[in-house]
Amino acid sequence: MPDNAAATTTARIAWPPPLAEPASALRWLLGALAWAACWAAMLALDGHVDLANQALLLLLGGAVAALWLPASAALLLGLLSVAGFNWMFVPPRGNFSVDSAQNALLLGSLLSVNSVVALLMVRLRAQAGVARHHQQQAEQLRALGELLRDASAPLAHAGALQQALAALVGAPVALLLRREGRGPLSPDTVLALGATNADEAAGLWHALRQGQAMGPGTGHHDTMACWYLPLRGGAATAPGGASEQSQRAEGCVGAALLRLPAAGRDDAPQRAHAQALCDQLGQALQRVFAAQAERDALAQAQGQAVRNALLAAISHDYRTPLASMLGAASSLAEQGERLDAAQRQRLALGIVAEVQHLSRLTDNTLQLARLDAPGVALRLDWESAEEIIGTVLNRARRRAPERKLRARLEPGLPLLRCDALLLTQLLDNLIDNALNHTAPEVPVELLVRRDGQHIVLAVRDRGPGVPPAARERIFEVFQRGADLSHGGVPAASTVAAALPQAGITRPQRGAGVGLAVCRAIARAHGGELRFRARGHGGSSFECLLPLVDAPSGAPPAEEEAR
Amino acid sequence: MSLHVLLVEDDRALRQTLRDALAVEGFEVHSAASLADAQAQAQHAAPDIVLLDLGLPDGDGASLLATLRQRLATPVLIISARETDAGKIALLDAGADDYLVKPFSIGELLARMRVALRHRGTRLAPAITRWQQDALVVDLAAHRVTLADAPVHLTPTEFKLLARLVRSAGQVVTHRQLLTDVWGPDCTEHTHYLRLYMGQLRAKLELDAAAPQRLLTEPGVGYRLAEGSA
Repeated sequence: MPDNAAATTTARIAWPPPLAEPASALRWLLGALAWAACWAAMLALDGHVDLANQALLLLLGGAVAALWLPASAALLLGLLSVAGFNWMFVPPRGNFSVDSAQNALLLGSLLSVNSVVALLMVRLRAQAGVARHHQQQAEQLRALGELLRDASAPLAHAGALQQALAALVGAPVALLLRREGRGPLSPDTVLALGATNADEAAGLWHALRQGQAMGPGTGHHDTMACWYLPLRGGAATAPGGASEQSQRAEGCVGAALLRLPAAGRDDAPQRAHAQALCDQLGQALQRVFAAQAERDALAQAQGQAVRNALLAAISHDYRTPLASMLGAASSLAEQGERLDAAQRQRLALGIVAEVQHLSRLTDNTLQLARLDAPGVALRLDWESAEEIIGTVLNRARRRAPERKLRARLEPGLPLLRCDALLLTQLLDNLIDNALNHTAPEVPVELLVRRDGQHIVLAVRDRGPGVPPAARERIFEVFQRGADLSHGGVPAASTVAAALPQAGITRPQRGAGVGLAVCRAIARAHGGELRFRARGHGGSSFECLLPLVDAPSGAPPAEEEAR
Repeated sequence: MSLHVLLVEDDRALRQTLRDALAVEGFEVHSAASLADAQAQAQHAAPDIVLLDLGLPDGDGASLLATLRQRLATPVLIISARETDAGKIALLDAGADDYLVKPFSIGELLARMRVALRHRGTRLAPAITRWQQDALVVDLAAHRVTLADAPVHLTPTEFKLLARLVRSAGQVVTHRQLLTDVWGPDCTEHTHYLRLYMGQLRAKLELDAAAPQRLLTEPGVGYRLAEGSA
């Protein structure tokens, strides 16, 4: 909703509903004018019309004046006018005596009719005022309801309720609201609006905990000078069989403090209206809490499913290297003397290779778990792309000395703001992935360039590429779809399964968590990892890191080189 | 006389493996499984080199390092798991000689031990003043760097940085140590100075700056000058 619309709605809700008609100068003036006009007419027509007609004019004047004047004034002015009428027009004129019984009767009925009409008019006005007041209250409720109906964050509109209540009682109002539907109540889990002293704060907490209204007319603490009203959200979440009191507490999502003026402390309709306003916010909050709880439950169920799948997949990926290690080691232990030196050496080297693989798998799994945790802290520093690439290249050449590896760096690259260990792990994984899934003669290339507001670190090959259907799935953890594996043999992982095995001589190893970790690392840096199919065949895995302005502090200037 | 190694490692299997492997190489190995044990052994046996695990059951390896540094220039090699990066760097800054991340191979361990032992005593006297690898010669005393017999022009800061690495050739030097020794203690956070000057040094001293063979990067920790060949 646009801001100004919200402001308008808030203003409408906060409009103070008039509790009684204000007696304004204008009303007095209009009343006085009505009487003055009446008297002017009577004086002007004196002698042309008879006494009864003048008396009717006086009645008309009194009735019209009663439209505006307060009851007591209308009655008093009516009495004075009848007296004046008697003085001015009733023979004998110039004194209060009356010469005939007929005229006395006229004066008497004039006075009583005038009084009755005035009282009726005033009562009518009062009823119209009450009706208007009710209409305004209804309008206020409707406006608040409208504001809250579709609000995704009702807490943001608590201010509107606060204003509406303050206008209602004519004093500042304080609110205490739950931020979340569940969990223990503590100062961290509630939102407090408006200033309170210690007693008032305690009262609000009590009202919130108990879900109980307190103050004059509520049956609880009737002598207090304020109302504590609960914001009731309905007891939809209360379990069956719970006591009424615990249900009430369960459904209470907040409390409001209304400081009452000395008069009107036991104004039941006003309290009902205030309670209705409170309940509207309460219900809106409860609705949002319930939706949140539903989402949480769903996410938890999904998280559990993902975790189970992950554990199963991890166990599987660990078992393969463990099996060959156990085989080699037990063979060494039990058949050691019967094997020749070359065989023993082969077994031992096999164990070393498997351990290295397991160690990387463990690093990746650990890193994934760490990056998945909320509030992961990166050890960010200024790093040079050249150094990172140099380290990664050196390591890769040690692991696979027979492969062709090349690095190309655009000249003049700015420093990267990154966690060096994580970024090298990302590139290690990408290079391993490329080496594992291409034929030995296929070169693998590392490319670093600047692209607008990003630095792109790409690992590219001219291998078989990744089939379109698998291009997103390869980034998922241990994904192992039956549709992706071939020949019905369970593949070590999606990557192994997704990439055609043509021309591959070394044993196929799945990246397992490898690409998932890479993507998690890129995203933890505010970047992204994506796959791009290359124009003439092959894959390019591209890590985009946002460019951060390097610190301006240049190293101290040097004197002339010697 | 064989060299004494004090092996501080709480995992029994790893301790036994390392013990056997080192004994085969001719070292006399004393092992300790806890910090208290290690403190006692260090007093008693006067080791020539200490292999120190970080996560010990009764405390941090840092206190042992402090004890050792008070008395001796005994080289200390940190052996740690990857998760304890921060502790590793703190110990290197506090004077440990080098580190190895578990799991490591015996070959790597022996190579690092050789370097650390060669540096033994260099804290007392500036031992290494000349470093050579293939065609590159650095002569600290003469303040001269030559590549294939042609003098290399270095700025004073580049030379200071290179000299610091030469004094610890083969060992890792942390970012903090380099920044303190070259730019001063106020500059320990200015890693970008290092990146800049290491880039310049590599451009002048490496054949391929993108695949350095001499000025090696230890990601997240520091730099290591490859071992000299003479």
